[in-house]
Amino acid sequence: MNLIRQALTVVRKDLLLEWRGKGRLISVLLFGVVTLLLFSFAVGPDSTLLRAAAGGFLVLALLLSSTLGLSESFRVEQEQRAIEGLLLLPVDPIALYYGKTLSNTLFLMLLAPILTPVALILYSVELDLEGLAVLFGLWTLAAAGLSAPGTLYAAMTSRLQSQDVLLPLLLFPLVIPVLMGAVKSITLILTGDPMSQVGSWAMLLASFAIIYWSLCGLLFPHAIEEGI
Amino acid sequence: MTRQFKWDSGIGLLGLLLLFAGSYIGLFVAPAERYMGEVQRIMYVHVPSAWNAMLCYTLAFIFAIVSLWTHRPKWDAMTTAAVEMGIVLNALLLVQGSIWARATWGVWWDWDVRLTTSLILVLLFAGVLTLRSFVLDTGRRATWTAIATIVAFVDVPLVYFCVRWWRSLHQVQSTPDTVAPMMVVPLRINAFAILFIAIWMMAQRTRLELERRRQDEVAQPERLAPMGGSTHE
Amino acid sequence: MSPSAADSTTPAIQTAGLGKRFGRQWALAHCDLQVRTGEVVLLAGANGSGKTTLLRLIAGLDKPTLGSMTIYGMDPAQEKLACRRTLTLVGHDNYLYSQLTALEMIQVWTRLRGAELAETEAIELLREVDLDERRDTPVGGFSAGMRKRLTLLRTRLEEPKLVLLDEPFSALDASGQRLIEEWIEGYRSAGKTVVLASHNLPRSSRLCDRAILLHQGQILWQGSGKDLLDRVGTTV
Repeated sequence: MNLIRQALTVVRKDLLLEWRGKGRLISVLLFGVVTLLLFSFAVGPDSTLLRAAAGGFLVLALLLSSTLGLSESFRVEQEQRAIEGLLLLPVDPIALYYGKTLSNTLFLMLLAPILTPVALILYSVELDLEGLAVLFGLWTLAAAGLSAPGTLYAAMTSRLQSQDVLLPLLLFPLVIPVLMGAVKSITLILTGDPMSQVGSWAMLLASFAIIYWSLCGLLFPHAIEEGI
Repeated sequence: MTRQFKWDSGIGLLGLLLLFAGSYIGLFVAPAERYMGEVQRIMYVHVPSAWNAMLCYTLAFIFAIVSLWTHRPKWDAMTTAAVEMGIVLNALLLVQGSIWARATWGVWWDWDVRLTTSLILVLLFAGVLTLRSFVLDTGRRATWTAIATIVAFVDVPLVYFCVRWWRSLHQVQSTPDTVAPMMVVPLRINAFAILFIAIWMMAQRTRLELERRRQDEVAQPERLAPMGGSTHE
Repeated sequence: MSPSAADSTTPAIQTAGLGKRFGRQWALAHCDLQVRTGEVVLLAGANGSGKTTLLRLIAGLDKPTLGSMTIYGMDPAQEKLACRRTLTLVGHDNYLYSQLTALEMIQVWTRLRGAELAETEAIELLREVDLDERRDTPVGGFSAGMRKRLTLLRTRLEEPKLVLLDEPFSALDASGQRLIEEWIEGYRSAGKTVVLASHNLPRSSRLCDRAILLHQGQILWQGSGKDLLDRVGTTV
């Protein structure tokens, strides 16, 4: 279908841009690593405390890095007004939204393979392969949840002054369910899940992602109709 | 300039009178609660504030949908008024909750489900107003306010259930039928009192917003006389 | 094409009382414009006279504050995508991604328009604007003129019936300007409609079937390109 084809072309283009401008991915990754390091200084060298908080710190590193990635994904669009060029082609706004959201989700997923090992080592947590797989699944759900409203708001704030303040201000309170769900479930993975609660937290993450993928897809065409 | 008496001023006045009556009954007529004592009397404003804050957010959500649908300035102004009223009541709620927490648990803040949820909601809807303040174009401002309001409102149940799971220990909500009838009366009266005052303030705010918008508007310039074939500039 | 896009007697563009206000400033007012199918129309006027605003409104990039318009009989407010499909606009911006190469840009554009372009065809297109040698260079390293040439290729990608050009000659050297002129002549003979805004009056007034002079957001005068040149001299 044309819509899906367009969305996938947008994703392909974004991934190509990502690949060409590797600097962006690397700097966001480094930012994530630095935050992980800073959290351990905030707690002190107490390994029991660190281990208990490891899940929380890991998710916070994802959340803080996400706004950098999201605003960057629209900075390339605004630089020479490429987004206007896309709309003129014409790219269906719905295809544009889902393309951008999907590529932002993929971008945030790419943070996991680096940030997770760093967190495991820094906070001396051990995790088997199965645990890693579940963690990556949860990470994916969280990334999808963050990207849906994140892409909408990044687009809306991309031409406003002080986007750097506005985007986190809008996004952070909104994604508290994602934060809580991811922190709780990942902590359970890291420290053991005697009552098998991970499933319900994963459900929460999935519902958030589904609700906001649908809602923001509906709202995005209205948002850019006013000019972007 | 003569001030016209508007319908909503009557409602506001009624609300104030009711608030006096309800609070009087709450403070002096109703019996003190057996376990919590006199502090419990804060409930007579606390619970009505909570109800009305949620009502305002719900109204904002409905207005936002209509605003997005119709693109009429009126609905945008009403959305803004409802969001602002919701934030004011929500902030009052936080203060009252904090006082309650101090008196009953000895701390100013407690990660109670409803208290935590209302803190998140204040921040969530404050974000909507911040976004609004950054957008200069009126049409875009209306659309984006509506979008942000809808996005924020849909989050409310998610936040509530999430916080509940996150912190799954606390006292069960006390419903009016477990308390004495003399406690129910002031609660109900104040609920309507705050509702009326909120309606009054929202009506005022809507009018103010529309007036501001009118002042931003400039009439189209006069049509230029077309240049004729022989006339020169 | 949409079924409502009727025969050749339907005007390509018809606006009625079109007005656009930015803040407290009316960038365009009382704009009643009719452009016939196959016509080449020049928008002239000083900076800030509303040329760009008018083109952006026609392309549907901005929403009019007042008034209505149709594009080949279609209402852009109702059939935005169908309208956009019939037209193409090259504005002041180049719509490029600095990290992509010229060839990749062309391919992304074609694919998003729903077509597939073989590499040889894409190179052929790039040769037209003298960029085939630089096809694998990231466009971030291009000069302003090269970027403009690349972006102007968007008008040749597929078959838009309505070509909107905002300052097509700016940033281009003499050979580039001549090329665009040839393209416009080609569009005319292919029965396409062209609306261009330009400060380069000697060149564009020669090209156009009709010139429209905008002043402070309003249509002040309409006539032939030659008359315009006689009236206002060589520059506006």
